[in-house]
Amino acid sequence: MAVLERVEYRHVGQGMVRLDGEEKVRGQALYADDVPVPDCWFGEVVRSPVPRGRLRRLVFDPAFDFSQVCVVTPEDIPGKNIVDMMGQDMPFIAYDDIQYRGEPVALVAAPTRALARAAAARIVPDIEALPAILTLSEVVDRFHRNGEGLHELAGQTIRKGDIAAGFAAADRIIEGDYWAGHQEQLYIEPQGIFAIPEKDGGVFIQGSLQCPYYIAPELIVTLNLPLEKIRVKQTAVGGAFGGKEEFPTLIAGYCALLALKCGKPVKIIYDRHQDILYTTKRHPVWTRQRTGVKNDGTITAMEVDFVLDGGAYTTLSPVVMYRGILHTTLGYKCPHVYVNGKVYRTNTFPNGAFRGFGAPQAIWGLESHMDEVASALGMTPEAFRLHNALHEGDTTGTGQTIFEPMGTPDVLEKTLARSGFSEKLGKASRGTPRDGKYYGIGLCFFGHGSGFTGDGESRLKAKAALDLEYFENGKVGVNIRISSTEMGQGTMTIMPQIGADGLRVHVDHVRCPFPDTKYAPDSGPTVASRTAMVVGGTVFGAAEKMRRQLEAFASESLFGGERVELDDNRFTGAVTGATRTFQEVGAAYLKQHGPLRVMNQFKLPDTLRWNQKTFEGDAYPSYSWGCNVAEIEIDALTLEIAVKKVTGYYDIGRVINPVLAHGQIEGGLIQALGYAVMEKMEIKDGLYDASRMQTYVVPTALDIPEFDLHFVEYPYSHTAPGAKGVGEVPMDGLAPAVANAVKSALGIRINTLPITPEKLFAAMTAARRTGEAAA
Amino acid sequence: MTAMESIDIAFPQTLPEALALMADEATRGQPLAGGTDLMVQWESGVRPPPARAIDIKHLHELHEISETHDELVIGGAVTHAHLRRTAMIRHYAPALAEAAATVGGGQIQAMGTIAGSIANASPAGDLAPSLLAADARVVVASVRGERNLSLQSFIRGYRKIDLAPDELIVRFVIPVKKPTEREQFRKLGPRAAQAISKIMGSYRGEIRDGTITRFSVALGSVAPTAVRLPDVEALVVGRTLDAALLDEAERCAAASVKPITDIRSTAEYRQWVSGRLIRGFLEHVGADN
Amino acid sequence: MKKITRTWIINGEERSVEFPPARRLLDVLRENLVLTGTKEGCGEGECGACTVMIDGEIVVSCLLAAGQVRDGSEILTVEGLERTPGGRLLQNAYLEKGAAQCGFCIPGMLVSSYAFLRRRPDITDASIKDAHAGNICRCTGYIKIIDAVKAAAERWPADEVVKS
Repeated sequence: MAVLERVEYRHVGQGMVRLDGEEKVRGQALYADDVPVPDCWFGEVVRSPVPRGRLRRLVFDPAFDFSQVCVVTPEDIPGKNIVDMMGQDMPFIAYDDIQYRGEPVALVAAPTRALARAAAARIVPDIEALPAILTLSEVVDRFHRNGEGLHELAGQTIRKGDIAAGFAAADRIIEGDYWAGHQEQLYIEPQGIFAIPEKDGGVFIQGSLQCPYYIAPELIVTLNLPLEKIRVKQTAVGGAFGGKEEFPTLIAGYCALLALKCGKPVKIIYDRHQDILYTTKRHPVWTRQRTGVKNDGTITAMEVDFVLDGGAYTTLSPVVMYRGILHTTLGYKCPHVYVNGKVYRTNTFPNGAFRGFGAPQAIWGLESHMDEVASALGMTPEAFRLHNALHEGDTTGTGQTIFEPMGTPDVLEKTLARSGFSEKLGKASRGTPRDGKYYGIGLCFFGHGSGFTGDGESRLKAKAALDLEYFENGKVGVNIRISSTEMGQGTMTIMPQIGADGLRVHVDHVRCPFPDTKYAPDSGPTVASRTAMVVGGTVFGAAEKMRRQLEAFASESLFGGERVELDDNRFTGAVTGATRTFQEVGAAYLKQHGPLRVMNQFKLPDTLRWNQKTFEGDAYPSYSWGCNVAEIEIDALTLEIAVKKVTGYYDIGRVINPVLAHGQIEGGLIQALGYAVMEKMEIKDGLYDASRMQTYVVPTALDIPEFDLHFVEYPYSHTAPGAKGVGEVPMDGLAPAVANAVKSALGIRINTLPITPEKLFAAMTAARRTGEAAA
Repeated sequence: MTAMESIDIAFPQTLPEALALMADEATRGQPLAGGTDLMVQWESGVRPPPARAIDIKHLHELHEISETHDELVIGGAVTHAHLRRTAMIRHYAPALAEAAATVGGGQIQAMGTIAGSIANASPAGDLAPSLLAADARVVVASVRGERNLSLQSFIRGYRKIDLAPDELIVRFVIPVKKPTEREQFRKLGPRAAQAISKIMGSYRGEIRDGTITRFSVALGSVAPTAVRLPDVEALVVGRTLDAALLDEAERCAAASVKPITDIRSTAEYRQWVSGRLIRGFLEHVGADN
Repeated sequence: MKKITRTWIINGEERSVEFPPARRLLDVLRENLVLTGTKEGCGEGECGACTVMIDGEIVVSCLLAAGQVRDGSEILTVEGLERTPGGRLLQNAYLEKGAAQCGFCIPGMLVSSYAFLRRRPDITDASIKDAHAGNICRCTGYIKIIDAVKAAAERWPADEVVKS
């Protein structure tokens, strides 16, 4: 706490131009497919054409000359044929059970892409097909029949108080259920990795990835290599959004297995069609909210079922579900809570990380439902939320106290005022169009846990290293060595801003190069809205340590023992007032001692309590908060939906770089816009029906609404500079705000995403029939 | 190396040279102009790449844009970008220019051609409805001579056109919109731009002294080809535009299409919105100038 | 495989290159000419990452058989922008406004911006959005790209204007 008071930030808080920007606008940034790799072969994957079955054998076309290519089958795997993720249930290459359409059954590499493809097409798996469960609706049907025939990948409950007592105390109980389907990350750069076999028997993996320290340790058991022989380095990444979190381990493994067998570098760059069909998606969700309220609007009980379609294997699904269930009641005071989270298998590609990681699915249900509860009580959406929103000192569904001033309920109050919500809600069409349009306005208020769930950060102990060394321009500088990746969100820029303020030098002297496991310690994955808060705090601490070491060195070696302070690039003697530049002192240090490495490790406050079994306690180190008001128009002729304006306030803690932070919010909101009204894929014959950019449509420049977006800063007190999560927060709130706006426009609740004209038409037709039947 | 690289492309310099190549089976190839449909189909495997293609993109004979005798002549290789930018087309066939402005993004508009759009014969092709509503004709040529056909008879079915193996589409002839006539194109897609339509439509119509004297209308993506709606046209021409007629026309239009459910939309919505588009067009033709 | 040779003015320099006639222009740029700034995002003309300008018109180089680009054509890729005052101005505007995040759509986006500004159209939100509707960006939400184009338009050099 005290730290924050005395730090003067010179770079933090400035909208500095991104440090990787110049090479990006000049077309010089090297993404995975741009890096020259001499003598590189190309990899392809042979896949199962059926979603479930038993693999009998692989049939190699005798007419094809396989001697010109390299084929990897399970027998070629040096270690265990397993992807070392949660559940340990997924083989790298299927050898018996087939659990999804597209599951790898063999790998091929060849000197050209065309030859690799041709060879892959000549290896045909002979599979005995078995019945499959393919969709969430099949899962939910079975869930209602006591889970008959379902394979549970994970389950977890949250209990607070006594849910029965909570419902007994209620005047009204309101129930609703909410659905959302798959969402594709659709980073513009498809997945791409290359692996180079090393002379010592190891492998050097580079490419488009979010988490170098997922890949390296996860490949140990498969490659049967020690960690130090699996080197992973990030190239420039053309967008990720979670899609390059756990998935690249698979493609890295394919490349590494092929490279180790054929002795050549092997590269796999997915084309867009492969990328959409054979990578992770956002988990489809079905969530049922049952809420007890008193007539005055006070919530007495919240009971939630939260069911995710995990796809075929466990991968990260349990953690996605954990974050999901922790957000199903977040934001509201409620003494009695029961949440039942489940992930079930379907025979589809394993679902995985995508910006928000379960929270958008949870908030979609929660915030649609809060409007329905308010409506049932005859309250306005804003009055109901203001009545129940958490304040400092209140507790969440896991019993965590809002332990310091935060954006709840400030963001709600400010967004309401700024947007003129209450007045505009009175003008909503409620089913009667004016001038050919229905007008609607909707509200959504939400929190988002920053950092890993529960005690994850305590277990991980994020590390950061600072290296004082010579840059290639001959200047002394500091390289920040962390495993946090730059994928567009700004790590390479905000870390030097933070490091420079910790060191109290100009940011020109600080850099954050692409992570390479050879040089960077494990600061954890670049996920969970944790980078600015957790790794940023760790970097700041490391920078302060380095400053003190350099001050001590300067004092002893250059200032005759007087106390020395480094500030604004300059070492100043407390007594003599003599000064030396950072360059002078740095050069002197390097000359005497060689490169200086300073390490720091993240530590959560000792006061945090978390029970991973019962999900009681401090679920997150802190929370970001947000509120969105969406204004929409629906064309009365065609029911086309246009989101016209989004007003929002966000508490993301201290804003490190306002330009980048706004960029995160704006971009995330447009992904959320796609989730709300546009992005749609369904399972057809075990594959996604939308498998190209022509059919999986995301917003263009012509689809974007007007934005009115603001920050309120409630810094996290435990680490300087006090950032909380930003990356995932904008994904959370827009879909329910749009659904609530649709309700105000048409008087109809749409409970499935995306909200399309087709759904509005079907719902209006059904409502009309019901009305006619009633009459 | 992609699937297309095996294609041999011939580069004739004039239309007669191109027609000569097309005339002989040994030199004949897939006519290739903008490539925006063909390249995707070849690459994705929807159609196997042909052995040969003939580049007609730059043939100057196919780039004409002119107006004579109340007819607009537009060469087959005129791009969507030129259709939307050319003042003459915006004036005499405004719905065609509007339609061209909704094809893909600026890049596709600068590449794709009017003949390519019609030759692709997709029910979702953006240009067919406005051309059909304007009673456009198409001129095809071969070494055997030219044929001049109504576009409606030229479009034969799902991805089928009345074009012999040795023929090329050379130009379109479009009766100009009279000053008293109005046109509108409307496309509904899954997003505001750069999208394949769920449904689209175009009309050319006229009202004199309160009576509808012309109403030609065509819809796309509601049938295997873009279609005119003769029942709707017959219903409204000669009638006074009033609320009752709007309701009748909406019902008639919905009843006269049998769309399907696919990845972009549902049959039910398409059927309903067909009627709604017709209502919108009638409101447009009747709106105060 | 039959190959042809074409001579183009690429980013202001005359270059001859030999390739099979149906090779995608994108592959000729990236592989034959090692101009890897131009990106492949979808290979079917939907994302616009491979946008380049040929004789003043933007095209998606993934859908263009390189043989169809005639001798003498002027091709501009992202690498050529900095050689023109307008192009460099535009790059700086993108930087200042924070218009690039992951950067993968940016080479194509910049070329679309450049072709748009050269036509010196009415600079409105609507015209800017329309001119970039063929370039998908999944990071920025387009706001800062639109801001950057507006900023560049205000200072656009008079001699980098063409009549359409």
